[in-house]
Amino acid sequence: MFPTPIERTQPRTRFAYKVFLPIALILWLLPLLGVALTSVKPAADLDSGNYFGAPSRIAIENYWLVFKNSNIGYYFWNSIKVTVPSVLVSIGLSLLAGFALATYSFRSNLIIFFMIVAGNYVPYQILAIPVRDLPININLYDTTLGLALTHIAFQTGFCTLFMRNFIKALPNALIESARVEGVSEWRIFCYIVVPLVRPAIAALSVLIFTFVWNEYFWATIMSQSVDVRPVTAGINELSGEWKARWELISAASILTAAPPVLMFFLMQKHFIAGLALGATKG
Amino acid sequence: MAKVKLSGIRKSFGQSEVIKGIDLEIPAGSFCAFVGPSGCGKSTLLRMIAGLEDITHGSLEIGGQEMIDVAPAKRGVAMVFQSYALYPHMTVAENVTFGLRMANHPKRDTEQRCLEAARMLKLEELLDRKPSQLSGGQRQRVAIGRAIVRNPDVFLFDEPLSNLDAALRVEMRAEITRLHAKLDATMLYVTHDQVEAMTMADMIVVLDKGMIEQVGSPLGLYHEPNTLFVARFIGSPRMNTFSVNLCDAGDGNVSCMLPGGSSIQLDGSSLRTGKATFGIRPEHLDVVADGHLQGKAVLCERLGSETMLHVDIGLADPITVKADGLTNVTEGDAVGLKLNPKACHLFGPDDRRVRSGSLQ
Repeated sequence: MFPTPIERTQPRTRFAYKVFLPIALILWLLPLLGVALTSVKPAADLDSGNYFGAPSRIAIENYWLVFKNSNIGYYFWNSIKVTVPSVLVSIGLSLLAGFALATYSFRSNLIIFFMIVAGNYVPYQILAIPVRDLPININLYDTTLGLALTHIAFQTGFCTLFMRNFIKALPNALIESARVEGVSEWRIFCYIVVPLVRPAIAALSVLIFTFVWNEYFWATIMSQSVDVRPVTAGINELSGEWKARWELISAASILTAAPPVLMFFLMQKHFIAGLALGATKG
Repeated sequence: MAKVKLSGIRKSFGQSEVIKGIDLEIPAGSFCAFVGPSGCGKSTLLRMIAGLEDITHGSLEIGGQEMIDVAPAKRGVAMVFQSYALYPHMTVAENVTFGLRMANHPKRDTEQRCLEAARMLKLEELLDRKPSQLSGGQRQRVAIGRAIVRNPDVFLFDEPLSNLDAALRVEMRAEITRLHAKLDATMLYVTHDQVEAMTMADMIVVLDKGMIEQVGSPLGLYHEPNTLFVARFIGSPRMNTFSVNLCDAGDGNVSCMLPGGSSIQLDGSSLRTGKATFGIRPEHLDVVADGHLQGKAVLCERLGSETMLHVDIGLADPITVKADGLTNVTEGDAVGLKLNPKACHLFGPDDRRVRSGSLQ
């Protein structure tokens, strides 16, 4: 059996396992634990210098106060307005593009595919200025649409790479057999390809949702107003408003991190099935 | 039912030409098998008829109509794929009726045809199952059912049985033959298994390197192969071939110098002298004490009904002899082999037939 169960290894290995695993776990989770702990500390604790100790009482009201004392409710709504369309559109576009790249042989097929792959390796930070200038010129700067379009443009490439390879792994005979039966290409796409790549769609949705929701760079560059700013950038604003109120910032951070985690657990089954399916060619 | 006519068909993938000019006429209602070694272009040819591959050059007629620029769906063909190509997310019934449903075919008739096909293929109990819940043979039957409901003029089978185990293959062979009789449609069948071709087809097309080697009935190909390739390809175990020297023996006979020094007189050879390839099937060699050929048995494969003897007669490869199942020859024994002159084939230096060993 591989890997060898830990109970059957040498005592030395077992000892090292028992010592290092908890250490690694604590190191890994420390920042998150710190934030979680701070988020339930009463303001008085932090004022009196109790930064790293246990809270004097569980101040769950921080999670209410953050909504009451800031615009975070708007920011959450802004994030949803940006993330959901970004996920839907980039997955929709990449399904179409992936289908074309995987099933049609046309002259520039590979060139286009390689350009999409290569595009994924361009560090997006170097594009900050032009990508900011373009929406300014076409009056989309500081709008939800502008931010969503930016995300769609940056995520579709990766999605297309993923989808193209996934669709390529479907047996070609399925598509050919439908063609001989006289099914139109659009219907082949809708009735055969899309149902069969559902695991990939689920997996990719979770990934892109997480990417876009957690995104900070474009969120700060492309938005300014309260009506547009997503929650990741919004928290940044909080630290300016309440320099000393770390407990509220922590509570906001925990709230912000929740949706992707929730999404992951909801879709976990599909997500893992999707990864396995892609690897073994079904 | 429609006749299929190919004229001057060529196909190139980039620089390499895989089909090098095929002229063929398949009569309506016949069962035509394309056989040949892998890479001979038989599947490509079938896919060109289906419309899945472009035809680089030439003309294709189905039922008297030019089909080069016609979409696959409009050619009146249905294809059964080697991998079955069942849609995994649909039930058997949905699989079978998919094409009709997508074409907005009347619902009542769609169901009717589905039930009819299911009855014909004994799939009635399985209509609600998904393909993953079916055995290989059942999946194959669903794939055939999907072709039947479309009521095509021409059925195209691309190695449909090669994923099945031996027993199932025999069963499906009989089933497809029965279907052919019942449906009265033209069937084109690609296989690399010559047993399938021999047992099912009424017309066999032997292909090699993108060209037709010979077209004929199963027994015609077996008894009168036009070329050395066909002679070796049809028949199992394959025909023994070795090179001989011919000299004119007068009276229309030639004398062949056989390995080991003896000779045999054959009539009716169009080549009189020089080098030729001699061919004789394993079943036309008799084990005798003193025959035309002398050798040593190096391997005895006892199959029960018969025994395959591999006899070393001093050539690079031993020759195969089909002997009686109860023969007492064992490995290491010296054996003499008698040739039946009526079964001796001769092929000239261009590998074309100069004498037929058709037993006539």
